[in-house]
Amino acid sequence: MRVATNSYSDAMLNQFSVLANRLNSLQTQSATGLSVQAPSDNPSAMQDTLNYLSDKAEQTQYSSNISTLQTRATSVGNVLSSLQTLTSRAQEIVTSATSGTAAQSNLDSYASEVQQLTQEAVQLMNTKDASTGQYLFGGTNSTVPPYVATTDTNGNITGVTYQGDASVNQTAIASGVTVTVDVPGANTSTSGTRGLITDATSGADLFNHLISLANDLTAGDTSAISGTDSANLQNDSDNVLYQVSSNGAVQTHLESAATFASSQSTSLDTQISNTAGANLSDTLVQLSQAQTAYQAALESSAKIMGLSILNYLS
Amino acid sequence: MLGLFGSLNMASRSLQTQMTGVEVAGQNLANINTTGYSRQRVQIATSTDLSTGLGQQGTGATAVAIQQVVSSLLNNQIQGQQSVSSYWSAQQSTLQSAQTDLNEFLDGTGSTDSTSASSDSTSSSGLSGQLSGLFSAFSSLATSPTSLTARQAVVNQAQNLASTFNQISSQLTQMQSSLNASVGTDVSSANEQLSNIAGLNQQITFAEFGGGNANDLLDEREQALENLSQLTDITTSTETSGAVDVSIGGQTLVSGGQVLDTLQTYDAGSGNLLVQTASGTNLTLAGGSIQGTIDARDGTLATLQNNVSTLASNLITQVNTVHGGGYSLTGSTGADFFSGTDAATITVNAALVNNPSLVQASGDATATGDNSVALSLAQLDDTTQSGLNDESFSDYYSQSVAELGNALSTANTQVTDQTSVSTMLATQRSSISGVSVDEEMTNLMGFQRAYEASAQLVTTINTLMGDTLAMKAS
Repeated sequence: MRVATNSYSDAMLNQFSVLANRLNSLQTQSATGLSVQAPSDNPSAMQDTLNYLSDKAEQTQYSSNISTLQTRATSVGNVLSSLQTLTSRAQEIVTSATSGTAAQSNLDSYASEVQQLTQEAVQLMNTKDASTGQYLFGGTNSTVPPYVATTDTNGNITGVTYQGDASVNQTAIASGVTVTVDVPGANTSTSGTRGLITDATSGADLFNHLISLANDLTAGDTSAISGTDSANLQNDSDNVLYQVSSNGAVQTHLESAATFASSQSTSLDTQISNTAGANLSDTLVQLSQAQTAYQAALESSAKIMGLSILNYLS
Repeated sequence: MLGLFGSLNMASRSLQTQMTGVEVAGQNLANINTTGYSRQRVQIATSTDLSTGLGQQGTGATAVAIQQVVSSLLNNQIQGQQSVSSYWSAQQSTLQSAQTDLNEFLDGTGSTDSTSASSDSTSSSGLSGQLSGLFSAFSSLATSPTSLTARQAVVNQAQNLASTFNQISSQLTQMQSSLNASVGTDVSSANEQLSNIAGLNQQITFAEFGGGNANDLLDEREQALENLSQLTDITTSTETSGAVDVSIGGQTLVSGGQVLDTLQTYDAGSGNLLVQTASGTNLTLAGGSIQGTIDARDGTLATLQNNVSTLASNLITQVNTVHGGGYSLTGSTGADFFSGTDAATITVNAALVNNPSLVQASGDATATGDNSVALSLAQLDDTTQSGLNDESFSDYYSQSVAELGNALSTANTQVTDQTSVSTMLATQRSSISGVSVDEEMTNLMGFQRAYEASAQLVTTINTLMGDTLAMKAS
C-alpha cells in the first residue's frame, strides 16, 4: 500500500490519543481504587453500587439508632435496678414491722423511711434521657414530667399523679424490625407494654402501695401490713423484676442487632468493592503496560518522523 | 524527417512538458497539508506522429491533462461514514452533558487498601446519597422525636435534596433549550453548505465545459459534501455535466447549479425543534449530528427528565400524605412537608424551615413524644411505590441512572467503533489521494533530469545549426 507522508502523523496522533486515554483511565482507576466512576463506565455495576450504597446508608442509620437505643436501655436499666433495691427495702420494712412486736416509735420511723422511698421513686420515675432530654417513663408524652406528687402540710406524699400515657415508641433497628426500650409509668389496660409503676396485668401500683404502707405503719395496723401491703408489694416487686428481665432481653436483642448491622455493613462494603472496585495489582500491571506502549509509540514515531528523502538529497 | 527546426520544436515542447511535471510536483508538495486536497498527476503522451518515408516518426511528448487521483467510491463511503460518526458523536456529547448534570459519580478517594479498593470510603455524589440522607434523618428523628437537632437535620437534608432536584431539573431543561439552539445552528450551516455546493456545481460545469478537469474545485466540493454529511445523511448523484445533485430525506435540494429547497426547523408542539424543508415537507433524517441531537434529546434525555420528575412528584405526594396526618411539637397538624409538584418546583415547606419544631413527627395529638409518623416516613425508604413501577425511591433512581449510563455507554462504543472505521477509510483514501514527499521528490528529480536532457538537446541542435551555417562561411 502506498503511504502518504501525512499518514504517519495522522496515525500517530490517533495512537497517541488512544494510548493517552487508556493511561488516563488506568491512572484514575488506581488513584481512586474504583473501576466504575461514571454511570456509563458500567451501567449495571453502577446501578448495583448505588443500591448497595443506599442499603449501606440504611445499615449505618440502623447502627446509629441501635447505639442511641442502647444508651437509653442502659438508663432504663439503671432506674430499674434502683427500683428493685427500693422495693426490696420496702419489703424488708414490711418483714421487720411485722416480726415480733415493734414499738410504734419504730413503726413511725419505718413510715418516714417509706415516705423517703416514695420520694426517691418519684424522682427515679422522672429521670430524663441524657442525650435527648426526654422523660424516660412518660410513654410517648415524654416532654412533661411523668409523675407529680401531692404532699400534705408535713411534706408527706399523699398521692402521685401520672401525666404520661401508656404508649411507647417503636424504633427501626433492621429492615422491617422495630423494637422498643421504653417502659411507660402506668398502663391501666391489660394490653400493650406493661407499666412500670402501675400495671393492670400484674396488679402493680407501687406509689399507692407505698403510701398505704406508710399510712398503715403510722396507724400501727400490723395486720394490714402483713396482709394487703405485703401482698401488694410482692406484686410490685414481681412487676419490677419482670421489667428488669425484659430490659435485659431488649439489651441482648440490641446487642445482636448491632452485630448484625455491622456485619451487613461489612458485607455490603465487600459487595461494593467487588462490583465497583478496581483490582489494584491488575490495574498497576496494566498501567505499566500502557506506559511501555506509549513510550514505544513516542520513540518509534520520533524515529520515523526523522526519515525523509530530503536528508539524502543535496 | 523533422529537420533541425522540427527537432528544436520537439526539444522546446519537451522542456514545457517536463516543466509542467515539475510544477505539478510543486503544487502537490505545496498542498501536502491542505485539507481535502487530492494529489495530481500530469498525464504525458507522445505528440502527433509525422508520416515520413521511413514510416511514422515521433515528434516528442506533450502534457495532455492534469488529473487528480481520487476514488469516487471511497469518497461516497466516507460521506456515509461521516453521517454515522457524527450522529453518534452528537449523541455522545449530549449524553455526556446529561451525565455531568446528573452528577451521580462514585468517589473512592482515600482508599488505603493495598490489594483492592476499600469501599469504606466509596460514596456517591448525587441525588442517591441525598435521598438516603433524608430517610436516615427521618429515622434519627424517629429515635428522638422531640429533639430539635434531629428536626433541624431532617429539614436540612430535605432542603439539600430539594435543591439538588431543582438543580438537576433546571440544568436538564437548560440543556434541552441549548440542544434546540444547536439543531437550529446545524440547520443553517446545512443550508450554507447546500448553496455552497450549488455554487461549486456551477463553476465546475463551466470550467469543464470545454474538456479538462476542475481539480481544485472538485476537492472543494467534496469537502462541502463531507461537511454536509456530518450534519445530515445525504444522497448524491452525478450529472453528465459534472454537477452533483443532493437530496436529503428523499427531497432533492440541489440540482445542478440551483438550490431547489432549503431546510428549516419547526416545532411540532412539544417545544422541541424538528426539521422540515422550507416548502413544508417534514423530514426524517437517518444520520448526521442534527438527528443525533434530536434523538438524544427526545429519547434518553426526555426519559431522564421524566424519571427525575416522577421521582420528585411521588416523593412529594408520599411524604406529604404521611406527614400531613402527624402532629408537631406545638400540636399543629395537616401541614405539608414538601411544597411544589415536581423536580423543578420541589421545596421544603417554608414554615418548617423557619421552625423545625413544626415537623409533624408524632401520630398522637396528645403526645408530642410519639414517633409513629417519623417512623412511617423513615420506612418509606423501603416501601415500593406503585407510581414508580413498584420500585422503591432509591431503586427507581438507580434504575434511571443505569438507563442513562447504558445509553451513553452504547454511544461511547459506537463512537469508538465508528472512529476506527473512519480512520481506516481515511488511511485508504490517503493511500490513494494523499501526497507523499518521497514520491514527489523522486518525481521532481525525474522531471528535472528530463528537463536537463531536453536542454542538452537544444544545445546540441544549436551546435548543429552553427555547423550548418559554418559550412556556408567556409
